[in-house]
Amino acid sequence: MTNHFGDVVGHSKAILIIGANPAVANPIGMKHFLQAKDRNNTQLIVVDPIYTKTAAKADYYLRIRTGTDVAFIYGLLHLIFKNGWEDKEFIKKRVYGMDKVKEEAAKWTPEVVSDVTGIPTDQIVQTATLLAETKPATVVWALGITQHSTGTSNTRILPIMQLALGNMGKKGGGCNIIRGHDNVQGATDMCCLADSLPGYYGLSEGSWKYFAKSWGVDFDWLQSRFASPEWMNKKGFSLAKWWQGVLQEEQTYSSSPIRALWVQGNGLTSMSQTAKIQEALNKLDLLVIAEPFLNEAAVLTNRKDNLYVLPVATQFETEGSVTATNRSSQWRSKVIDPLYECKTDHDVMFEFAKKFGFYDQYTRAMKMDVKEGELVDVKKDFVWPDDAVSEIARTLKTIGLGGWTPERLRKQQENWYMFDPVTLAGAGPMKGQYYGLPWPSWDKKHPGSPVLYDVDVPVNDGGMGFRNRFGLEHDGVNLLAAPSVTVKGSTIKGGYPEITRENIEEVLGSKLTDAEKQKIGSNWKTDISGIIQEKCRAAGVAPYGNARARTIVWEFPDPVPLHREPIHSSRPDLVSKYPTYPDQKNNFRVDVKFISEQQAREWVKEFPTMLVTMRVVNLSGAGMLERSSKYLSHLTPEMFANIHPDLAFKYGIRDGDMMWLHSPQGTKIKVKAQHNQSVTPDRICLPYNFAGVMQGVDLSPNYPEGTKPYTTGESSNTITNYGFDVITQIPEYNAGLCRIEKA
Amino acid sequence: MSSETSRMKFMCDSSRCIQCFACSVACAEAHDLPVGISRRKVVTLHEGVEGKEVSVSIACMHCSDPPCAKVCPVDCFYIREDGIVLHDKKKCIGCGYCLYACPFGAPQFPRDGAFGMRGVMDKCTMCAGGPEKTNSAEERRFYGQNRIAEGKVPICAAVCATNALLVGDAEDVSAIYRKRTSSRGKGE
Repeated sequence: MTNHFGDVVGHSKAILIIGANPAVANPIGMKHFLQAKDRNNTQLIVVDPIYTKTAAKADYYLRIRTGTDVAFIYGLLHLIFKNGWEDKEFIKKRVYGMDKVKEEAAKWTPEVVSDVTGIPTDQIVQTATLLAETKPATVVWALGITQHSTGTSNTRILPIMQLALGNMGKKGGGCNIIRGHDNVQGATDMCCLADSLPGYYGLSEGSWKYFAKSWGVDFDWLQSRFASPEWMNKKGFSLAKWWQGVLQEEQTYSSSPIRALWVQGNGLTSMSQTAKIQEALNKLDLLVIAEPFLNEAAVLTNRKDNLYVLPVATQFETEGSVTATNRSSQWRSKVIDPLYECKTDHDVMFEFAKKFGFYDQYTRAMKMDVKEGELVDVKKDFVWPDDAVSEIARTLKTIGLGGWTPERLRKQQENWYMFDPVTLAGAGPMKGQYYGLPWPSWDKKHPGSPVLYDVDVPVNDGGMGFRNRFGLEHDGVNLLAAPSVTVKGSTIKGGYPEITRENIEEVLGSKLTDAEKQKIGSNWKTDISGIIQEKCRAAGVAPYGNARARTIVWEFPDPVPLHREPIHSSRPDLVSKYPTYPDQKNNFRVDVKFISEQQAREWVKEFPTMLVTMRVVNLSGAGMLERSSKYLSHLTPEMFANIHPDLAFKYGIRDGDMMWLHSPQGTKIKVKAQHNQSVTPDRICLPYNFAGVMQGVDLSPNYPEGTKPYTTGESSNTITNYGFDVITQIPEYNAGLCRIEKA
Repeated sequence: MSSETSRMKFMCDSSRCIQCFACSVACAEAHDLPVGISRRKVVTLHEGVEGKEVSVSIACMHCSDPPCAKVCPVDCFYIREDGIVLHDKKKCIGCGYCLYACPFGAPQFPRDGAFGMRGVMDKCTMCAGGPEKTNSAEERRFYGQNRIAEGKVPICAAVCATNALLVGDAEDVSAIYRKRTSSRGKGE
């Protein structure tokens, strides 16, 4: 989130929710949108393939065909540019490349957009007009936007529209992406990913060297842990296609097949291609599962040996900081000690590290601190979790976690009632801090930044420009913010570059002492000494620069986002006009099919119904935790699919009848038909939160005694179609096809 | 300030209710109800129909002139001073007349367990327990928690994700709702 829920309540005049259903996925978040409606007459626009519970609260509901979000937003941009509704000043001073977006938008007339998206032209015109006339407006999305073969383009076109409307860096504006679960933002910031070190540092040698230093370990030792040095800088397998690392049916690029899998805190059974996951789980040499509730991956596999289930404690049995969807951190106390033989997540990892002989290196940084500009050993033992949080705070400079000390976070927890829920500002003893110190909170005095990119607020009070992330110029155009864009209170007028050892004296106009020159890191991201941050504070400067937002990503296959039909499209006539990407070589160590899969057949002839997956309010993720509650299970006692009566009766399916759903991959699931008008007759919709039944086979005998939840059922992701995003490799959960058959 | 003459009331703002079931599930969990007994339920009308769907959370409305009490052949109902309508499970014979009379379908009839003693009626107590000694084991077994005696808000409203479900002194409830509707568009 660039802004936060309270900010939406306080300032947004319009909210566009696209590809998100907070009424079921984030009810507390939804409250804020309803409060905004009550307090500010905020207009709520919901765009979704399904008439969701969120749509039921909307002022305007637009039913979109799955996988056509880019086309829809271009339709709005077309009208915005055509009528001169864009914020010309904002674009001129703070944006790079909008002219290329304008060129693409010119093609997307309401008629063309209506044909592609299924949204009537008058609704497109109405929405564009509303957004042009209603400022500030915020855009809200979630997995309905990301989970596509064009997910990356989807997530780019929305901020581009906000830039065009001048809604970025404004109270009540911005892009507010809702995280679905507790601490998902924290897991992302720590980069529990295959392609980056914590804090989005990537996998370059420079990043590894910085982390080696920050962890107090030898870089060569770190490198020696890899099969050979080059693997250190290569992406690992992704969660989406790890199973190919085991099965190796598509070309893989790895030093070895994957032979062992350790699952800790992951709903593996709600990933796409569940049938492939089952095969891979069966083929592994070793499977270890470490969870508070039995992970149904243990049930999905039929293996009889080399499968270990470790009991791990819940959040109530441990302590530490968690990050909320708006980049804010909260301290969480331990309620009880771990029950029975459970261990906390970190204790499991510590035992693991001891067994494998790297415990000392693993925990060393928690015994270190920066003294007089240098990282040195300061004590013999560490205190969990305080020293882990301190290590994170002093190391992750990219997103400005410097202010997140355990002392400050604990203090905020004790005094939470002193903060205003709309502005997040503290009062009394908490004056001068925002609740949760939303990042960037550059240093121990920084209040946090509730609204990103707001140049009307001084850096030391939470303001900033856009980050200088992509160099100083591109195609001969200066990428820094215009001379008139001065961050309030800054000693530097206009845009400025990110601060490095090389440019600090020139940019900040200050002289470094010889001692400082000795200690300073090469740039603001790797400056352990803290000297760069200190000088920036004195100058009211954000260490990451003050630059232009770019709408062109020259490294990507689509420098400007383009509409591309889903891999399994319901409109073959549009596939030739808007084809997907060429097949991909070696992304996350595996080849990925795009065009060859899309054009292998005219899929819609055999699989005529669009497949949409959804969350239900009482179940989250793979659903094991909630399906183990009798009251929550009672709300959805079995797996089902919502189907329009007109479609159901075509196949002779009555309300409550069982039906088979077949996928293009040859997989099938048996689910109960639930007649429902939230879907149109061209699509069906089903929850992804069930497991324990696989392609009609009941896996009940695989549950260890006493672990079977109250409800089990087919996973919708057994029939999720093949398809992955071209950059992130997230599966295309939210656009696909299926065939219905009465069971 | 609450008036001495007003009564405790529930109110559900249907423009806020998103059918998340938190009220109903929290109620069942808090009072350890048998599965299938819904002291509080969420009713959705026109499910999935564009522009028509509406949800509301319903339990015993703690009527000022409760028809259940009027028709009860054994006179097991009583109204507390604060207006909460309760009943005595030791008097109740489980005949079901109250279900006929209740406009909201509030009375529930469990089959077994502590709540189903002799098949008697069970309903929302506004988390105020029953005639047994306050916060005694017996009160808890027959009626569930007595949060009111502990100075706590009834659990359903306490967990409402969107502040749709309001509870309290009728004057306070109407003041909150009045403010919500009259301040529309005024930024408060």
